[in-house]
Amino acid sequence: MTAGRGISLAVALILAVAFPFWANEAQPYYLQIAINIIIFAVLALSWDILARTGQLSLAHAAFYGLGAYTSALLTLRAGLAVIPAMLAGALLAAIVAAGLGVLTLRLRGIYFAIATLAFSETLRVTTNQLQFTGAATGLVAPPLLGGQRVVQYLAILTVLVLVVLVSWLVNRSRLYFAFTAIRTNEDVAATMGVDVVRYKVFAFVVSAFFAGITGAYYAHVFLFISPIEAYSLAVSVGALVAPIFGGLYTTAGPVIGAVALRLVEEFLRSAIRSGYLIIYGLILAVVILYMPSGLAGVWATMRGRRRV
Amino acid sequence: MVIFGVLRSGLYALAAVGLALSVGVIGIVNFAHGEFLMLGAFLGYWLYASYGVDPLAAIPFGAAAIFVLGGAIYRGAIQRVLRAPELNQMLLTFGISIFLQNLAVILWTGDPRVATVPYKATAVSIGGFTVGLPQLIVFVIAMTLTLALYAVLGRTRIGKAMRAVAQNRLGAALLGIEVERVYLLAFGISTALAATAGMMITLQLSVSPYIGLLYTLKAFAIIVIAGLGNINGVIYASLVLGLSEAFVEFYVPHGGGWAEGVFFLLILLVLIVRPRGLFR
Repeated sequence: MTAGRGISLAVALILAVAFPFWANEAQPYYLQIAINIIIFAVLALSWDILARTGQLSLAHAAFYGLGAYTSALLTLRAGLAVIPAMLAGALLAAIVAAGLGVLTLRLRGIYFAIATLAFSETLRVTTNQLQFTGAATGLVAPPLLGGQRVVQYLAILTVLVLVVLVSWLVNRSRLYFAFTAIRTNEDVAATMGVDVVRYKVFAFVVSAFFAGITGAYYAHVFLFISPIEAYSLAVSVGALVAPIFGGLYTTAGPVIGAVALRLVEEFLRSAIRSGYLIIYGLILAVVILYMPSGLAGVWATMRGRRRV
Repeated sequence: MVIFGVLRSGLYALAAVGLALSVGVIGIVNFAHGEFLMLGAFLGYWLYASYGVDPLAAIPFGAAAIFVLGGAIYRGAIQRVLRAPELNQMLLTFGISIFLQNLAVILWTGDPRVATVPYKATAVSIGGFTVGLPQLIVFVIAMTLTLALYAVLGRTRIGKAMRAVAQNRLGAALLGIEVERVYLLAFGISTALAATAGMMITLQLSVSPYIGLLYTLKAFAIIVIAGLGNINGVIYASLVLGLSEAFVEFYVPHGGGWAEGVFFLLILLVLIVRPRGLFR
């Protein structure tokens, strides 16, 4: 990393930490939006970590929902404190991902995508049926950190910093080569001695852990969860559109993509109320057709041109 | 219960055979398949509610309209990613699916709608069993169309061209088959079949913009059970799904809700035990 980038990152971090103290005075609604954006960024980046192995998961909502429900149920039915319950939610999501991964990560491309989508939908159906999980009515969860928005914001910012760190480490270590080899050609990678399934399961577990903790966070900050929201397809879709829009397999791309998309969504939500997800469909199609490397690719081309 | 399951599988077969066609011939796994079905269903509902046209009579019109729409989407978008990585193809159709679904939400709101045709509650008895007339009609039409597609693929020139392209794109092109036109036709037929299934759904169930995903998933379950790209296995696979769902609904307490999860179990079991499909 160059010194210039280091400084700009530090400035961004300071601004991000200072932001809630200003927003809480000036316009608390901005704080709410910022929390939403960061949740989205964590989901997008954690989804991207699995995507680096070439696997397209449509189950991010499943782990998000698992985290949310586990944590809410543990606090409500077992009387656990909020933070340990959230960690337990994230752990359960990671464990389930390990199990599902061992079963399904031998499948490639389309088969894996279908299996994960079906898994997510089934969790929703099950949660919808069981009285224990509050069925279709949902659950009311106790607030995180006494419901103070500023501290809550800093909590999710910490999670974002953690996932950025993990993602950065993954792209800096031997894992980067293993993941890229698997993505480019699985058979060759296996022949070269890369333990394909083990790396994929590892990526899946890391990815699910962060989705789980974000889901748990959501439950204790917005205080209400229902099957249709927690296991919403919108979560899975958003988590994959943001990295594709921002730039796949990078650390900055998914985060930037998430921020940009969420701002557009926020605007559209107030403009057309329902059906605003249409923008995700449109962006997905346009990006795939016209800018396959996302915003990061466009940025790189522009910089390249300037230099030439 | 068996009859109930069999009748239902007719509609499933029709919904899935189009997807099998697009997977088998073009090699595109179309995540937007259920959305074409949903659009067909809305078309059927709208023609019935506004002009009193019976959804069954409107089928040729609706199928033709969606055929044109499907063809346009193929030309405008899908054609461009035929040689792109599988991931991109999947994401593109997924994007189209989200787009169409939310377009429907914006145009018609998310409320479910029901077309109440005069014979909706009519029942007929066959050999001592009583079945609903709409269900019976839908089953007969769906099976006829599915079998007709098999006949077209097996007997006619264009069907043989499709099978040739499916086996070897380059070889077929060398023999003078216009591959692009065959693809266009296959995609159009695939979406038109989905639309037909959708229009018949208006006879029995409510229609909302969100039904597309459910049918995409069920159609996926069926073609996974049949084996991806295996068009002939679709009818058997539909029977497996229809019967298992009916079984769960009848024998499991509160089975109506659980039946929604049956297709996942089937997908997972088949993918783990026999990823090439059961009927191959």
